[in-house]
Amino acid sequence: MTWEAVSRAGVWPPYLFPSPGGVWQALVYGFQDRSFLFGMGASISRILIGYSISLTLGGALGLAASRFKFVEDTVGSLVLRFQVLPSICWLPLAILWFGLNMTAIQFVVVMGALPSIVIATDNGIRNIAPVYVKAAHTMGVRGVDLYRRVILPAALPSIVTGMKMGWAFAWRSLMAGELIFVSSGLGYLLTMGRELNDMAQVVAVMLVIVTVGIVFDKFFSLFEKRLRLKWGTVAGV
Amino acid sequence: MTHLSIQNVTKEFETRQGKLVALAETSVEIRAGEFVCFVGPSGCGKTTLLNLIAGLEKPTTGRLLKDGGEIHEPGSDRVVIFQETALFPWLNVIQNVEFGLVARMEAGKRRHIARTFLNLVHLRRFENSYIHELSGGMKSRVALARALALNPSILLMDEPFAALDAQTRGILHEELQDICSQTRQTVLFVTHNVREAVRLADRVLIFTARPGRIKAEIPIEKSRPRDLVDPDWPVPYIRQIERELREEIEKVLREEVDRDWTLKKTDILRPAGIDLGSGI
Repeated sequence: MTWEAVSRAGVWPPYLFPSPGGVWQALVYGFQDRSFLFGMGASISRILIGYSISLTLGGALGLAASRFKFVEDTVGSLVLRFQVLPSICWLPLAILWFGLNMTAIQFVVVMGALPSIVIATDNGIRNIAPVYVKAAHTMGVRGVDLYRRVILPAALPSIVTGMKMGWAFAWRSLMAGELIFVSSGLGYLLTMGRELNDMAQVVAVMLVIVTVGIVFDKFFSLFEKRLRLKWGTVAGV
Repeated sequence: MTHLSIQNVTKEFETRQGKLVALAETSVEIRAGEFVCFVGPSGCGKTTLLNLIAGLEKPTTGRLLKDGGEIHEPGSDRVVIFQETALFPWLNVIQNVEFGLVARMEAGKRRHIARTFLNLVHLRRFENSYIHELSGGMKSRVALARALALNPSILLMDEPFAALDAQTRGILHEELQDICSQTRQTVLFVTHNVREAVRLADRVLIFTARPGRIKAEIPIEKSRPRDLVDPDWPVPYIRQIERELREEIEKVLREEVDRDWTLKKTDILRPAGIDLGSGI
């Protein structure tokens, strides 16, 4: 309401301050000519690839760090330090390494999600109640079976929290990467809107980005909630 | 026939204060079908001995033999029930009971066995519940079913009922006795509750304060079932054990508090007989 009122008051021209109706129209057009759909498709497929790489690599590194002291001391502490570096700062390095292509963007996405996943996996496994492992041992379960049936399920709540954080970082990294280096995707649509001075499209694309982010976040939250219900770690079950 | 033979076993731990002797040279023979309780002051090495038998820890010196074979590692022939129950919260009740059977047999067969043992502890109705939905006593029952389902030749229990209220504990004592006399299960049971030990055991081993060793061995010659028709039968045993224990508890206190402090007669160890039958 305030938004509509301010835009109608005409303080700023519409190309700087679009009306809700204008944004809605931009949304409708965007989905009608499918440019938003293609943008979403491109961005989502990119993040799925990058995030899968992060999960595999991060899970493996976290597992190794929790198991071997020297991995913890080397990779573990390195990851902890690089966690404070916004992952888009990897882009210049990635462009020099891989050239100005998708691999560079993927690299940034992977670097965005990796630290939280490594740290969560490592900590999750380290903080398991030792009695679970003892109980499994005394029931004759060891080795790979011990990891599959006890250590990973016991660490899962912590790992899922890390996965959720990793996802948020990956999504931000991807958007930043698409803004700077454009070919397709939602970040590219944002840049297009800016170049065409089409503020309604810019805001519309921002809404799409937020919505996609929320949808995936909801998915992780649902997963987390199911775990909590099972474990009984949430009040009012 | 000797079932478990503990021969000159010691256990030392490295700590920041130097070497700590948790268990001084100890030898015990356990017969098949026996119910043996370990009692002693805290830190007397009774849990250490249990862990050694379980294979969760290795002795510093000495040997542990089960049916003639040396114990090297944990195995499902010597299942431990922990005070914390250690049930897995990511599995439901019946999946917990099946846990140790998974690698051994196919799904239908292990479900059948798990149900049999859930029946035994009267929790068949709760097979699909999650662990956090159960009371303390129910968790103890599930832990018992999970251990018994593996058909262990020795059941090791480390203060399994210490966290329960007296009524629940009393009920579980009765059921544990029923199950054990039916199956002739060998049980080693760690507790600091003298009444519990007397009620359950064929033989009570009393441990000294650190460094732990076996100070006395008291056979409980009371036929089973040991119901509460004559509620005073444990009294002489409890008196005898508490007399032995008293000295050890004073030793621990002297190390933990000021040297000139002594235990008054009425402190901590009440004369046996008072509130008897309320908890056991």
